[in-house]
Amino acid sequence: MASKRISKELKDLQKDPPTSCSAGPTSPDDLFHWQATIMGPPDSPYAGGVFMVKIHFPPDYPFKPPKVNFQTKVYHPNINSNGSICLDILKEQWSPALTVSKVLLSICSLLTDPNPDDPLVPEIAHIYKTDRKRYEDTARQWTNKYAMG
Amino acid sequence: MGTPHDCGAYSVERMMEDMYDYDSGYSEGEEEPSSDEAGMDFLDGECTTRTHHAQPTRWLLIDAKKLLQVQEEALASVMAILGCSRSTARSLLMHFRWNTETLFGMMAERGLDDLYRAARITSRSAKTPLAPCDAAELACAACLCDVARPDATQMACGHAFCNDCWRQHLAVQISEGRSRRLVCMGVRCGAVCDEEQVRQLLAGEAALLARYERSLLESYVEDNAMTRWCPSVPHCGNAVRVDGEPHCEPECSCGVRFCFSCTEEPHSPCTCEMWKRWKVKCHDDSETKNWLTANTKACPKCGKPVEKNGGCNLVVCMCGQAFCWLCGESTGREHTWTSISGHSCGRYSEETSARVDEAQRNVKRYTHYHLRREAHMSSQKLEAPVKAKLQASIDKLEKNQSTLKDYSWLSTALEQLFHVRRILGYSYVFAFYMFGNDMFREEVTPAQNALNQNLFEDQQQQLEGEVERLSMMTEMTPDRIMEAEDALRLDVINSTVNIDTRLVRLYELLENDLLGALTLGCHYISPYKGQSQLRSGGGVHGLSTAAVGGSLEFPGLGTGAGPSGDGDPTRPASPPVQAATAAGVARAAARAVPRQTQGLGQGSTGSGHRERAALVPGSPSKRMRHDPR
Repeated sequence: MASKRISKELKDLQKDPPTSCSAGPTSPDDLFHWQATIMGPPDSPYAGGVFMVKIHFPPDYPFKPPKVNFQTKVYHPNINSNGSICLDILKEQWSPALTVSKVLLSICSLLTDPNPDDPLVPEIAHIYKTDRKRYEDTARQWTNKYAMG
Repeated sequence: MGTPHDCGAYSVERMMEDMYDYDSGYSEGEEEPSSDEAGMDFLDGECTTRTHHAQPTRWLLIDAKKLLQVQEEALASVMAILGCSRSTARSLLMHFRWNTETLFGMMAERGLDDLYRAARITSRSAKTPLAPCDAAELACAACLCDVARPDATQMACGHAFCNDCWRQHLAVQISEGRSRRLVCMGVRCGAVCDEEQVRQLLAGEAALLARYERSLLESYVEDNAMTRWCPSVPHCGNAVRVDGEPHCEPECSCGVRFCFSCTEEPHSPCTCEMWKRWKVKCHDDSETKNWLTANTKACPKCGKPVEKNGGCNLVVCMCGQAFCWLCGESTGREHTWTSISGHSCGRYSEETSARVDEAQRNVKRYTHYHLRREAHMSSQKLEAPVKAKLQASIDKLEKNQSTLKDYSWLSTALEQLFHVRRILGYSYVFAFYMFGNDMFREEVTPAQNALNQNLFEDQQQQLEGEVERLSMMTEMTPDRIMEAEDALRLDVINSTVNIDTRLVRLYELLENDLLGALTLGCHYISPYKGQSQLRSGGGVHGLSTAAVGGSLEFPGLGTGAGPSGDGDPTRPASPPVQAATAAGVARAAARAVPRQTQGLGQGSTGSGHRERAALVPGSPSKRMRHDPR
């Protein structure tokens, strides 16, 4: 079931790729480990950056959520230094009707609109709330440093 | 439930009456019916499984058969009032933790629609017809396949998926222990699946279905704030439901007595928090404990340890409660990146580092209190065979003697001794935390603390003195019971009553002046219920019997017959027959002086008053005039 659904998703992604991201298996013979790239949304300090994301599908996918981690360092209140993402649809709000492309789009909008009230990195959230410019500057710097080139 | 009297009981009561020379303010007729009635209110049809009449039966024992029955009763009442399906009723009850009062309260206040929304039940009006009714096929969004219509199931919320996907979804959810929160697969739907549809889908999976059914059944115990499993190991299969005051120490039919609040061994007068800390202290090398402290946090709703299995700090417990991993405080479920609710924590607290300095001092204090507690516990163990031997002789004597001779004074004394040893033991744990100026450092000034400690230790010491005296007196050979002179007998009775009085006073000090004075947080202890707490053996003992009527329904009331220190001197005194009991009631009346009730609405004493006020209809005019309300 899992591999059938994953290959269907892969086919759909190839047929109709989303504009801001792409994804596919890291190696052709292992469907359960994917690598995805997310373009930094243009209206965010991450603009111009290309962020690598690792996706691991559990054996009972889609009835359990995939594990999604950033591999590129990101300065963001909801993404920590391990690349863990605080996103409800990857946890208790997961639904088997969600797909990788929907998850990636959600991550894109998380990049545009952080949720500082439920932070994974409280320090960044604090700066985001009190000194927006400083947050944007740092995020831009990190994007330049880690997500370009 | 009438309190069984025999002449033995009577004579002891008489004696106590003589001893303390109560002038009768109430007539017997006034006292008796009120207490009996109070007992009946609760006992009616409830405590069929309990036979000890001398036990304060404020709880209901639920065995496997009874579990189904009580659950059906709750379901039936909700189904009857809301006119809803069993599945809906169950979901609602689970959401309201099987508290029908809250459920109906919310329905009256906010209406049926809000009620359904709160419990995430798709109300019948919102039901949408099967999406494209005429289509022969359905595109299942989970497996991304087209399936024939008959192979798909639509839930009440309108979302339809193929049966295969439903089955796998349900299997994953059930095997992860979420049987009670089986929700729709739709994106951000969260509607609870209908029980009957789940049963149909799982028809071929006997094991899963059995697990599901069991989980639903046990929800009555596990999702219910007023019900607990008996903590016996191996588990006896019973649960206990408490109606009213949840701070008590019920006894299961398997013989295990436990603290209802924390399901640990009974530890009054320690609070649960104190006992928890003490146990950790005593076994802090335990690997499991270490792992639990390092890797889990207690859910703020159900208290179960929760392990974080994902990256972010919004953790959702199995029970559905969302909370912040950093501070452990509950947050909303909608509290995610799409919606905002003010929650910030992670500020450093000075006090944790200061605690380190106290460690050294604590070791010394700990040893002190630990040794004293152990002393009482070992005394209790040593006294047990003495008690057994004496009791055997008493039983033999009572059987053999043709003339009615009463030894209940001795049995009562032995029970009292056994009981008070335990209380004394735990009182050291209480003292360790209460006066350590650690747990309550923000609320109690060092000066006040020293004063409190003196007060407490004075009373504790007096009690200990009396206990040792009684212990010495009861260490007699069975022969001596036969010819126990009146002097010795009176002395023992005197001592027994004295201990009871002192216990009542000690508990008053603890509940009102020490714990009651704390304003940050609520600290409860299981109240001392006087001698009714003692288990009555084969015979009916005078003191126990006397206690039943009065203290059955009144937490915190003792059967102390001693002259009360802080009572109103003008208050009507106790009736002649129920001397012991009435003294307790009168004491409670004295306690009802506004002193503790103000600002302490949630204190255990506060609720004690409410209950008392409600349950003593017998002589309101006399009794209530001490009550501020």
